[in-house]
Amino acid sequence: MKANILKGLVASTALVATGLVGLTAAHAQDGEKFKIYLSLSYSGNAWQSEAANIVKALAATPPYDTQVELIENISGTDPQAQISAYESMIDDGADAIISFPISSTALNRTIRRGCDEGVLFFMYDGTVTEDCAYNVSFLSAGFGENTAQALVNELGGKGKIFLSRGVPGNSVDQRHTDGAMSVFNKYPGIEIVAEYYSFWDDRTTQQETAKALAAHPQVDGVWAQAGEFGVIQALLDANRPLVPMTGENSAGFRRALADPEMQAKGLRGVSSGSGPAQSGYAFKLAMEILTGQRELEPQNIEYPLPWVPAADVKICEGDSYTDGCNVFPESKVPSSFVSEVLNPVLLPEINVESALNGTPVPGATIQPLPADAVVTANNEPGINCDPCEAAPDMYKLTKVEATVQP
Amino acid sequence: MTQKQDPQTLAQQGDTRGSAKLSRDTISAATVAVLCVLLLLSARLVSPALGSWNQVETVLVLGFFLVVLSYGQGLVILSGGLDLSLPATITLGGILATSWVGATDPGAWYLLPVVLAVCGLVGLVSGIGIVWLRVPPFIMTMAMSIIVASALLGYTDGTPRGSAPDAAVWLMKSTFAGMPTPVSVLIGFVVVGWLFQSRSIWGRYLYAIGTNLDAACIAGVPVVAMQILPYVISAICAGFVGIALVGYSSGATLRMGDDYLLPSIASVVIGGSSILGGRGTNLGTVGGAILLTTLGTIISALGMEFGLRTVIEGSIVLFALLLLREELFQKLRTVWR
Amino acid sequence: MAFAQHQTSRRAGLPQMLLRLTRGAMLIVGIYLILYAFYAYQQPKALTFSSFGSLMNNTAPLALAAAGQALVVISRGFDLSVAGVISICNVTLAVYAMDGPGGALLSALLCIAIGVTVGAVNGVLVAVLRLQSIAATLATMIICQGIALVILKAPGGSVANWIADEMTGRLWKTIPVSGLVVAFVVVVWLMIRRSRYGLSLYAIGADEQSAALSGINTRRVRFVTFVLAGAIYGLAGFMLSAQTATGNPTSGTPLLMLSFAAVALGGTSLSGGKGGVFASIMGAAVLMLLQKVLFSFGIASFYTGMFQGVALICAVVFSGLLTRLGEAK
Repeated sequence: MKANILKGLVASTALVATGLVGLTAAHAQDGEKFKIYLSLSYSGNAWQSEAANIVKALAATPPYDTQVELIENISGTDPQAQISAYESMIDDGADAIISFPISSTALNRTIRRGCDEGVLFFMYDGTVTEDCAYNVSFLSAGFGENTAQALVNELGGKGKIFLSRGVPGNSVDQRHTDGAMSVFNKYPGIEIVAEYYSFWDDRTTQQETAKALAAHPQVDGVWAQAGEFGVIQALLDANRPLVPMTGENSAGFRRALADPEMQAKGLRGVSSGSGPAQSGYAFKLAMEILTGQRELEPQNIEYPLPWVPAADVKICEGDSYTDGCNVFPESKVPSSFVSEVLNPVLLPEINVESALNGTPVPGATIQPLPADAVVTANNEPGINCDPCEAAPDMYKLTKVEATVQP
Repeated sequence: MTQKQDPQTLAQQGDTRGSAKLSRDTISAATVAVLCVLLLLSARLVSPALGSWNQVETVLVLGFFLVVLSYGQGLVILSGGLDLSLPATITLGGILATSWVGATDPGAWYLLPVVLAVCGLVGLVSGIGIVWLRVPPFIMTMAMSIIVASALLGYTDGTPRGSAPDAAVWLMKSTFAGMPTPVSVLIGFVVVGWLFQSRSIWGRYLYAIGTNLDAACIAGVPVVAMQILPYVISAICAGFVGIALVGYSSGATLRMGDDYLLPSIASVVIGGSSILGGRGTNLGTVGGAILLTTLGTIISALGMEFGLRTVIEGSIVLFALLLLREELFQKLRTVWR
Repeated sequence: MAFAQHQTSRRAGLPQMLLRLTRGAMLIVGIYLILYAFYAYQQPKALTFSSFGSLMNNTAPLALAAAGQALVVISRGFDLSVAGVISICNVTLAVYAMDGPGGALLSALLCIAIGVTVGAVNGVLVAVLRLQSIAATLATMIICQGIALVILKAPGGSVANWIADEMTGRLWKTIPVSGLVVAFVVVVWLMIRRSRYGLSLYAIGADEQSAALSGINTRRVRFVTFVLAGAIYGLAGFMLSAQTATGNPTSGTPLLMLSFAAVALGGTSLSGGKGGVFASIMGAAVLMLLQKVLFSFGIASFYTGMFQGVALICAVVFSGLLTRLGEAK
């Protein structure tokens, strides 16, 4: 028995040692710097990596480069793994955690514990209902209802449409769809012939749209969440005319909206939705609070809803959005690139290279956020607060007006 | 999964194989085919547009990926293993095709085979780990999947670049011999795959290894090579699917393979193969893959909430499994005799 | 071989029970202790009760999922329905929250009942209708995931406060309750492992044919195994709900592959007949601890997966080597 114990111990020491040899403890314990964690839930799509890249670029831009130690962590799609990661960060003495939360409710308990120990929590894009965290998000800005109304306007109030939704069982998808349905339900002429889940992914969208087209060849419009470029490809694959549609901010979709050839085939619509720039905004807000430049209690902060109708799409010559341009050409970014990653007002110090590679712009310095940058978001029960009352005008249209009556 | 079997079990399996292999496999493939047609016809009830030739084409194009993939998975399962590294290998193929080859690289004719070779290498490593280090296939391929996926994440910095090679776009988007190219290629692939698995000596070796490793060894089968080979073929198939997916949706993503693992296993099993190895045909597997794709197309046309759709999908898979059950075939045989 | 080993000394005192518990789990316990030492070296807070408690809370759901999975794997089967059962339990607790100690007990029983039901369906499909376990449980998993989505469309709802607070708390500020729940399952396992059922379980995993010949009712043993496993998955769902305090219709999915990894790490052979529940639980604990260790060493997050993959292969190769060394002796 003893020999067995010994053997076990020797073997396991060897095993662990091989695993850990060569790793240097990367803990620069610099008392001067703020320790900030960037906690991604998952990586592997353009949106997530752009959001992480611009935070990295900002952290490397003077004067933040001497003020911040930024540590990135990817915990996967499992809420439990993110809980564990948050706990490690709190134990490690984080000053702030900038995070894309995988769940709006599962992390609350851990966040509360961190708040009690003085950690600032900044959530971007996704939100949590714990009220000691700052939520920086476009969610309350009405993506669903505004795009739905824009589509209804394009269709003149009647037609058969597809809904290309996000991830089943996800609260963001539910919020967008509820908003859209608040509009579609008002128009008896609008008939939803197919509703499918595209997992916010171009390829899945393309396959699901192809399936839907096989069952319902007659379609007049498509309301889509992220992955919208797949809708266009599926329609082209099936040799169908393009139709009015709304979608999010992929470069492929925006370039198609501006392409005369696509327009001739019938493509019209609006590009709106979630932008990775939210992460940079959240990071700068956190830094301004940490460095004492801004006083702000934890609250829900609204990121303005991007809104680019086909007529406003303009392709950029340079590396940033100057002169009102809002999409980069194919030579610079792939079609899956999410265009709303730069923001001339809130994030003037970064460019397309920052979004792609996480590198700072040479010579740039951090510009303070405009004094009136912070816009308080509406309460959305179960999304950014709980328990709370929904605002009575939750689905109010902000970007577009109804041009057709039911 | 298991590599050792009791002689008794073996003798029994040997018996059934000898006397009734053909009839069972034929029945199994025929049942799957009949189920497909029934599903397509009943789909007309859901929407009149379904069940048309157009929809058959859509199913075949969408099913292309699953058929190719489950052929590789089928070979691995036949030899008594299991390949969980497919998702990562698909992504590997896709990412390399976009980042190395790109849209108009004149070197595509040799770079694309190199991409496939790199994918094959992943299979080779898995195979070696399984045979020489004696790591169970389940763990070895799962670990490889995690390793490859994380290497790709690091290699791309999270953002895959580049666009689809012209050859891949041609594969998925053109027409050839009056059919969409993927359908023509698919038919060729199935024929070659059938020749390999059912008509070649290597195919017979695989059946032997899956049935009883020790006996195969004694009978002079090159067991080491023949145990590794299925993993290599499976990885190459997965890489090919990656390239095809890139051609289909003109871009690679890091999660592009994730949805294919469980369906690839399901099509093999629905096609009448034993998950323990040594039994099954690739025609059955092809049928299983087509059946699953058909089912997906019809289910997505049902105007139901996602949860109910999922329940129905699972129930039909279960129904197909019960229908293709071993004992049912045995009963059928006794009736015929 | 395993069968013979377990027939020796059916009645045993506590010390012997402890010995038996660690036999076969030696390697994995050793790995755990050494990893913990590394972790504590990097992060001194790791030695506090609160850190250990939260680590236990993180570990409990996976540990229980792996415990159930281990039972099925020992009988030479696979159970994919673990993901579905956990999801259903989780959304049920979030939608029908019952507060107070009584509510918690009812909730736990409800979860176990859900697990038993799904396990019974699996049992019928595999043991009676003779479907391949991986295929049958794949189908039940898909169906269960659908049911979870029907019960709760999007993440939300909240689990009863009593469950969320007490089940993740610590008794007398020291002993984590989640650890006690896992310990309870281990104790039950130790009791049944010596029983007629336990011996039959190993026997049919090692060789179903000869087990049947020696008079074991293989159908019943298989059926009972799936039911027991289901009950443990139910507990896993209960503990997961306590930790996340909210409902999520896809909450079980991440635990599917991890449960197999934990079982394999614990040295349980996926071809049946060998291994144990305790070792699998320790396998789960190592997997969760590994996250913490890699974090505390500040490894570039992109490459975390590489370390996990290599560690998995190494652990299995090592435990295989050890087993062979032991057999050679």
